[in-house]
Amino acid sequence: MEKSIETIWKEGFLEADALVVPKLNNLYTQKSMHIVEKFKRMFQTNLRAIVIGGVVILGASFVVGIPVMGIMVFLIAGAIVLVNRTLQKRLMEIEPNVSSYEYVKSFDHWLKEQIDVNARMARFYYPFFFLSMVLGFWFSDYLPLVTRHLPSIYFVNGIPVFWLLGVFIIMGILYAVGGRLYKWDLQIVYGRVLKKLDEILSDMEKLRVSYPEIA
Amino acid sequence: MSSDFYTAYILPYSALIIKICRAYTNTQEDFEDYYQEVCLQIWRTREKFRRESEWSTWVYRISLNVCLTLLKKKKNNTQHFASDYLPEEETEDSHAFADENLNVLYDAIRRLSEVDRGVILLYLEEKSYQEIADITGTNANNIGVRINRIKERLKKLLDGKVN
Repeated sequence: MEKSIETIWKEGFLEADALVVPKLNNLYTQKSMHIVEKFKRMFQTNLRAIVIGGVVILGASFVVGIPVMGIMVFLIAGAIVLVNRTLQKRLMEIEPNVSSYEYVKSFDHWLKEQIDVNARMARFYYPFFFLSMVLGFWFSDYLPLVTRHLPSIYFVNGIPVFWLLGVFIIMGILYAVGGRLYKWDLQIVYGRVLKKLDEILSDMEKLRVSYPEIA
Repeated sequence: MSSDFYTAYILPYSALIIKICRAYTNTQEDFEDYYQEVCLQIWRTREKFRRESEWSTWVYRISLNVCLTLLKKKKNNTQHFASDYLPEEETEDSHAFADENLNVLYDAIRRLSEVDRGVILLYLEEKSYQEIADITGTNANNIGVRINRIKERLKKLLDGKVN
């Protein structure tokens, strides 16, 4: 007669070496590598998307007759990509052959610097992006269609001063909120990864205080 | 995690964590990852323990939840399995225990659905139907029927393989 599962279970665990407790060590090695690699892939994809977006908008702008906008957006995208490529090179230089804590800490340091640089840049590229749309229309065949509806009182020497004032006010607002807009955008794209990184770092720091062997 | 916490609250229950983790993994590496993650999760959630149940019940619950979550993540990443049944072939963990019959039983358990694995492990650990239902989040009224069904399936899977 075959043994019942209950008997197999009891007899199997009777042996002294049936259960070997795994050693807890380097709890976060794999996790930290995984999270940083994931971020690197997303960062690379994001840069590619900006390049592709810039080229597509450039091409489309010529097709629809607003090339100034296309050129400006392409230049803005190029500037963003160039700066971030430089940052990306430094990201690749982060040494993975150190402790997982030091690795994540170096990555976190890089990330904060990257966010700071991009947030400062965002204060300029959001207004310039808006300006590119305005100038795009200004130097296009669509301008008469827009200005036709504006009363002549707003023109001084052929320049719609109040309209331009509005443009500058909007640019000023975009300058003021550019950094926040960037961080909001950052949360949409990288939010989950950043949250995970914060959790890992927080756990690692707590573990290092009381149980350094496994952190 | 302080070493005191590990020694006092996890190490005495390591046997049950091992028994659960082994049922959800196929390789030694995965098993060690799952074990470590369970330990971490017990440490992270220690303040949520309300003493409404035994500490061992809490450990079971965390262990099962972590294993199910990790398995789900792994499935999403690899897209290996069409259902929640593991492949029939022998795995690295088929020799995890010294006792050969126990290895065969574990191979059979790994071929059950994820929840059924938890239910049968708790049954084998002699937990009451109510505790099994509480830990696995299933209906206590159906636990008996469910266990019998699982045992029948295990019996078929073990047929002729146990000495």
